[in-house]
Amino acid sequence: MKNTILSVQDLYKSYGDNHAVRGVSFEIARGEVFGLLGPNGAGKTTSISMLTGLLEPTSGSVQVDNMPFGKNGYAVKAKLGLVPQELALYPTLSARDNLIFFGRIYGLRGKQLKMRADEVLAMVGLADRADEAIETYSGGMKRRINIAAGLLHEPEILFLDEPTVGVDPQSRNAIFESVEALNRNGLTILYTTHYMEEAQRLCDRVAIMDRGEIIALDSPKALMSGLGGGIIRLGLHNGHIDTVSQRGSEHPAIKSITRTDGMMIVETHQAQAALMGLLEITNQLDAHITSLEVLEPNLETVFLTLTGKNLRD
Amino acid sequence: MLHQIFAITIKDLKILFKDRGGMIVLFAMPAMFILVMSTALQSSFSVGGSDNPIELLVVNQDRGGLAEKAITEIGDLDGITLISTVDGTALSVETADRMISNGDYSVALVFPADFEERILAAATDPQAGEATITFIADPTTSTQFLGPIQGTVQGFIQQAAAYAQAPRQIEAGFASLSEEVPPAQVQFVNQIGEAFVDAMTEAGGLENEGSLGVRFEQVAPSDFAVTEFPDSVEQNVPGYTIFGVFFIVQVIATSLLSEKQNGTFRRLLAAPLSQPALLLGKLLPYYLVNLLQVALMFTIGALVFDMNLGNAPLALVLVTLATAAAATGMGLLVASFGKTPEQIGGLSTLLALTLAAVGGMMVPTFVMPEFMQAISKISPHAWALAGYQDVIVRGLGLQSVLPEAGVLMAFAVVFFGIAVWRFRFD
Repeated sequence: MKNTILSVQDLYKSYGDNHAVRGVSFEIARGEVFGLLGPNGAGKTTSISMLTGLLEPTSGSVQVDNMPFGKNGYAVKAKLGLVPQELALYPTLSARDNLIFFGRIYGLRGKQLKMRADEVLAMVGLADRADEAIETYSGGMKRRINIAAGLLHEPEILFLDEPTVGVDPQSRNAIFESVEALNRNGLTILYTTHYMEEAQRLCDRVAIMDRGEIIALDSPKALMSGLGGGIIRLGLHNGHIDTVSQRGSEHPAIKSITRTDGMMIVETHQAQAALMGLLEITNQLDAHITSLEVLEPNLETVFLTLTGKNLRD
Repeated sequence: MLHQIFAITIKDLKILFKDRGGMIVLFAMPAMFILVMSTALQSSFSVGGSDNPIELLVVNQDRGGLAEKAITEIGDLDGITLISTVDGTALSVETADRMISNGDYSVALVFPADFEERILAAATDPQAGEATITFIADPTTSTQFLGPIQGTVQGFIQQAAAYAQAPRQIEAGFASLSEEVPPAQVQFVNQIGEAFVDAMTEAGGLENEGSLGVRFEQVAPSDFAVTEFPDSVEQNVPGYTIFGVFFIVQVIATSLLSEKQNGTFRRLLAAPLSQPALLLGKLLPYYLVNLLQVALMFTIGALVFDMNLGNAPLALVLVTLATAAAATGMGLLVASFGKTPEQIGGLSTLLALTLAAVGGMMVPTFVMPEFMQAISKISPHAWALAGYQDVIVRGLGLQSVLPEAGVLMAFAVVFFGIAVWRFRFD
């Protein structure tokens, strides 16, 4: 990949017999918004922890701007910005005091630091409340300062670890707009989430993670196009699943049928035609339908197709 | 790295000074201890002196005049005030008893009606029986207070009794002698006896008017530079200050745990910040707070109670620097073991109270059993107290506190060493 800013090769993290991250590899281009999408426990936060130097990988390598992380820890860290999943702020200090402190940790000082603090406060829309203690802020406002603290030192890559968890819709939208604005200004962003709509809206490419592995990686559009017309989830009494699956596979509107836990996952070329066909088959066989769901092509259904589970199970 | 350490220090000082509860624990509590306890115990150090004499109720039921003589002698002492009347009426046993029971006074002295009778009888008759003087005392009065009073009073009474018995014993001696000499010499022997008693009485020796030629004075060992003996403030302020300094243990441990729990630790570790710089930055503000605590407590002692700070300020500084190092090291040690606020609170309290007690903050080590005195060596509190007392109470200098400062620094090194080995940054 041209203009690679982050290169991850065969990253593993094991805790005894528990393999939290298994052989994760990807590259991110400069200026890209790269998504890590997966349910809770998929290994997203563990991956980010290794990419930001918080955790030592069991094996594998990370390079930032062609600098291996291990040897150049401090230099690499100076290029990274982290917005952790939990709020990482000092509640009794003001927003400004928090930012000034973190700025100093990154080597900013004096007028430059003050100006930069003012800039990021304006960027997140909290300049007018900068001198109030963080503990007086709403959840959404705290999230915005949490992001601001990661931006202070003008990193080359910003890691956003589930930044909208527990946030009201208005603040969530404000965060999306901030991310889009930052990216328009050239910032490379690695964005982890378990919300499909966030990944679809924000990311140039998405890596779908489950059980420590990347199971798919492409642009949202490309991932969804593989689903054709959509997904139908059909639940039947076990007695008829085999027959319905076999006859359904022959239907021209149906791309493929997989079975999992008494459910049929039907990938379609055309969802409506496929649905009509399936209903006809179940009627003929007098099969008892226990559940029926028609899912539009989106990343959630991509995940469902790949794993048989919902993204938010 | 230095600017990062200072950034963390300034940030933690800001957080600490916004924490009212923390400020009360670190500054107000030790100050209150010092103010209250020094004031309360001031009397126990000065009582028995001319500025604060002990008040002693006296009930004199003696039919003779001997008790009156003893009472006069005791009343002449500087450190004792005798109270023998209430509203112009001589004290009775019942009144004295009630006054002690009410808590108005602590001790009463009762001379029986046959006091002189029995004393004089005992001069020549060993079977005569003793005169019993009664001390009525509130049972809660400590023996440390009562003992010296009893000793002093007993001494004067025995002296008065001895003077009263002496003439009779001399007369009895000469009477016995006259039985052994020829009849012609009996009168001569009796005249000698009378002249002997008269001569001694004239010289004042038997009237209990002369000095026994003995005086007591209290001094310190010759290598101590003590010009005045310490009062309650100089004895207690160093102890309570040390107690307050080690309150920092829980504050440090809680601060580190809070950083981990509120996620800021993670953010800091993702920054180009080394682990040693992070720890140093976290500990430095509390080290500075310790120094401020000591300065404040000693200032209160000096300004409010006119506390003597000794003759070697550098020695005081050295002990303070070493004590603060041991305290902050202990704070990091507790942080490396405690994973929850409850664990940190429990461990900090256990260490603070146990080491303070073992170290002689509550009871002086010299009154402890030998094995406890040996155990006290493992308490940094004991070494800190010894260092401060060397300067403030014993008037010693810099060289004398080097061993204590050295041991305190060794404690600090051990605490830091174990803590850094155990501390989990993730």
